[in-house]
Amino acid sequence: MPFLEQLAGNLIYGAILGAVYGLATMGLSQIFGVLKIVNVGHGAFIMLGAFTAYWMFTLYSINPMLSIPIALVIGLSMGLAVFYTVIRRLIGAPELSSLLATFGIGIFLEELAKFFWGPDHRGYTWNIGSVNLSITLIPYSKLLAFGMSIIIALILYSIFQKTRIGTAIRAVVEDREGAMVCGVNVTRIYALSFAIGIGLTVMSGVLVTLFVPVGINPYMGGEYTLKAFVIAVLGGLSSPWGAFVGGFIFGLLENGSYTILSLFPNVEPFSLTRFVAFSVLLIILLVKPTGLMGGEGE
Amino acid sequence: MKGKILLLVVIAVVLGLAIAGCAEKKPSETPTPTPAKKETPVSTPTPAPTQPQVEKVVVGGTLSLSGKFANEGKLSLWGIQAALKWINDVHGGVNVGGKKVKLEFKYYDDESKKETVQSFYERLVTVDKADVLLAPYSSGLTLAAAPIAEKYGKLYVSHGGASDRIFEQGYEYVVQVLSPASKYQSGALDLIKSIDPSAKRVALIYEDNEFAKSVFRGAKEHAEELGFEVVFDKTYPKNPTDLTPLLSEMKAANPDIVLGGGHFADGQLLVTQMADLKVNAKFISIIVAPALPKFYEALGTRAEGIAGPGQWEIGVKYSPEAAKQAGLEYYGPTQEEFLKYFHEVAGEDVQPDYHAAEAAGAILAIAKAIDTAGTTDSKALRDTFSKLEFMTFFGNFKIDPQTGKQVGHEMVLFQWQGGKKVIIWPPEAATGEPYYPIPTWEEKEQGKLATK
Amino acid sequence: MRRYVRPMIPVIILYLTLLLVGLSSESRWQPVAFIMFYIALGQALNMFLGMTGYVDFGYVAFLALGSYGMALAFSSFSSLGLWVILLGFVLAIIMSSLLSLAVGAIALRLRGAYFAIATIGVNEGFRYLVEGVRLWGGSEGIIISSTMKDIFGSDLSNYISTFVADIMVFVIGFIAAFLTVYIINSRIGYALMAVREDEDAARVMGVFATKYKIMAFAMSAIFAGLIGASAWTLKLTYVFPEDVFNITYTVEAIAIVMLGGAGTLTGPIMGGLIYGFLRYYLSTVLPGFQLLVVAPLLVLIVTIFPEGVMGYVKRKVRNTRFEKYII
Repeated sequence: MPFLEQLAGNLIYGAILGAVYGLATMGLSQIFGVLKIVNVGHGAFIMLGAFTAYWMFTLYSINPMLSIPIALVIGLSMGLAVFYTVIRRLIGAPELSSLLATFGIGIFLEELAKFFWGPDHRGYTWNIGSVNLSITLIPYSKLLAFGMSIIIALILYSIFQKTRIGTAIRAVVEDREGAMVCGVNVTRIYALSFAIGIGLTVMSGVLVTLFVPVGINPYMGGEYTLKAFVIAVLGGLSSPWGAFVGGFIFGLLENGSYTILSLFPNVEPFSLTRFVAFSVLLIILLVKPTGLMGGEGE
Repeated sequence: MKGKILLLVVIAVVLGLAIAGCAEKKPSETPTPTPAKKETPVSTPTPAPTQPQVEKVVVGGTLSLSGKFANEGKLSLWGIQAALKWINDVHGGVNVGGKKVKLEFKYYDDESKKETVQSFYERLVTVDKADVLLAPYSSGLTLAAAPIAEKYGKLYVSHGGASDRIFEQGYEYVVQVLSPASKYQSGALDLIKSIDPSAKRVALIYEDNEFAKSVFRGAKEHAEELGFEVVFDKTYPKNPTDLTPLLSEMKAANPDIVLGGGHFADGQLLVTQMADLKVNAKFISIIVAPALPKFYEALGTRAEGIAGPGQWEIGVKYSPEAAKQAGLEYYGPTQEEFLKYFHEVAGEDVQPDYHAAEAAGAILAIAKAIDTAGTTDSKALRDTFSKLEFMTFFGNFKIDPQTGKQVGHEMVLFQWQGGKKVIIWPPEAATGEPYYPIPTWEEKEQGKLATK
Repeated sequence: MRRYVRPMIPVIILYLTLLLVGLSSESRWQPVAFIMFYIALGQALNMFLGMTGYVDFGYVAFLALGSYGMALAFSSFSSLGLWVILLGFVLAIIMSSLLSLAVGAIALRLRGAYFAIATIGVNEGFRYLVEGVRLWGGSEGIIISSTMKDIFGSDLSNYISTFVADIMVFVIGFIAAFLTVYIINSRIGYALMAVREDEDAARVMGVFATKYKIMAFAMSAIFAGLIGASAWTLKLTYVFPEDVFNITYTVEAIAIVMLGGAGTLTGPIMGGLIYGFLRYYLSTVLPGFQLLVVAPLLVLIVTIFPEGVMGYVKRKVRNTRFEKYII
């Protein structure tokens, strides 16, 4: 049954890809959920994470797994820096003015990366063998990406549910004024949430390179920004967990629908998989206008 | 509050100054009559003595220094600068009206975006007084700026617009320096045909875009002409993150030869994932990505045996001696000289690839045409190009007089062998033997290289 | 009548200045056209975004369909001669308004950011449909240069591409501005304002929110289609799906509107002027490094004028005699 075998193989890869997509989206949802900021510079931060993994690996032979905490630290500090220099001034301004700011920041980061590292497409090969599932082969590095994505998501979940900070963040999301009255320092929560969002995003850049270890270049982020937007809304914008679920669905759709679409003559089946994925997004939104795990209203 | 008012004032002043600045430039602009053809009524190689003395010749063009073609843009700029070093320092400039003058290159960054090119090309013609235009990179941008080139009647030399369709549009002044897209994968097929008649099954796996589609339409036609059987012919969309679905289907088709690619990132991804999924083939040729040393750096030994077509490659045998044998004139630096100049502008550790060479080749072709015609008049240059046949380090030059399409230039096929690119086709240009069949992914993991 | 004329005075002054600067010398026409593209883009988007507060990230799909409309007119009806351009604009209007009605009827039920991002899905979905089923030339798009030459001859086609198309963008931008003033002062405008402030309350008060939203959406989409038809197809003579369905243009358009001030009439003009000018001017000074300067400047401007440059001016002139001119 080559058809079913291929479908199964594709779905396995789709699930791995979906987990990576999911993690790459959580930062975006986190920032939107708390600050109502649409970070159009999202992809630039993923690019920074990818370059972190690349340079650590090629310059210092540091295992990409160890780059994950390094990227997190870089991301957190960048998040704080960006928040206190730019974003703080835009709280309370028209909602979209922050979009202009993140647009500028995204371009600036891309151009800085090009300025320092050049526009080359780089990559690294971290070959640690693969597991043979008889229907398909999966490199361990991709399995690690899968596992790490889930672990990171779970850690984040417990931070949000179990700690005081997490409670405060959720309180701000629910009711900003109320939280303020209860003595929550909203600006600090904003700063923290923004930093965590960027930290997650940069970190996910490392995991992206575990899945796609090549083609690392200053402009690589654009594609991820686009998908992250769509996945975020699929899951219910302000819910990072929804983002994770949305990532899964998107990954499975992209890879799974190929096997069926390739049976049609005179089409480009792989391009159509994206059509299918985006169409399903629209259908889901029509059935449930606030996404899979979104709450009421906006 | 004061700060804001100040900034408003500053913005207003800057805008005002800019408009004034544009106006200020006006006196320096000699009145430009609309059809530039009238400007230099010289079409004979010996210009009338009344012609004003030309101080320099300006070639203008935009390069994609930012955006999706930034990589090619950077290499092109270095290639052009290297070629200019030879033209100005060694050759002493170009011959205009019997006098040697400097050739200058003026460029802007088009950000790989179609909106910018027309305004920059107009600026190049009207403000920078460019005599000849170098077309931007990619077929799309070449088409976008063509109306300006045609409007001002300027020669428009394409160094990165490979699409055959550009030359079906009836442009008067477009001249191509590189081989058209349909030829990219011909060499690989010819090679296999000559060394292994039993390899019949060909798989095509490529990006769904304008350039790659014309490459692989050409490849498919050529494969069928040669009697190959195309067992797989599928595309993937731009910026793929996972090619598994395509590759597992291709693996089932069991091809002997895999031809594929599109741009840099997807080409690297294609090879990585073929290695991950152990999709073996006797021969793999990928367009664009393998030409750069970064390809090997990224993939390591997985890149061993991977072949790719190139417009040019270090080691090609285009030299003054080869030109003499072919009965052609040789123009420009030798390959060693070009490499020397290239390293001077780009740094010792950067190797030129064919993007650098084709841009340099375009500049040399322009210089050669000006030398031959003795004028910078576009009509005269275009006529000269129609007749010219010569060789540079980049290869032969001969265009189809009607369309401006390149017909003289030949592509080469190289293969990564032991961490080096070796030219394996055509035989007269080869610097080494092809390694065939290439090592399997399993063998490469054991450290096997594509060397004997 | 005055309430229509007065706000148009700054608009007319700005457009006339631009036009005169452009016409004053050959070297200035294309830069002005480049800036004008961004102004018109901002203005078309502002008709919807500024009025309703809804953001459409997939807005570029309307430009794309408009450009395809023009390209299809050339590739299928080239026998019409000069009329083919008119037909192209008609097709552009039909195609972009049809899409906007479809999106409007379905997606406008979504609120806020859900709508904004759902429209990305529309844009991307459409793009991959075009590429996937090889519609309209698939990923290879449509090139109309040779058809244009066959119909108009070489000189006239160049003239159309390098002058007429730009003038069209001017006209489209101007009409969009005029229509914006008209809408602001009409029933639609009042209804939309009510919707923008509080959609639920407006519905309770008996405002057909959806109807007015779709009207504004369709109008905005039609202008986008016209811009696509002239600034892309007529001017650049080709349409590749990869280049026209590119979200970056939406982001740029939103950035321009925000730079100038959303919901103001002159905002998109100022925004487009600042954005286009900075990019053009800095690339002539620092080719290759212009974005390194442009990007921080944009961030700086938005932190200083969070409500946009014209939004700031509008606030400053409130209760002065200039109030009626800046809306």
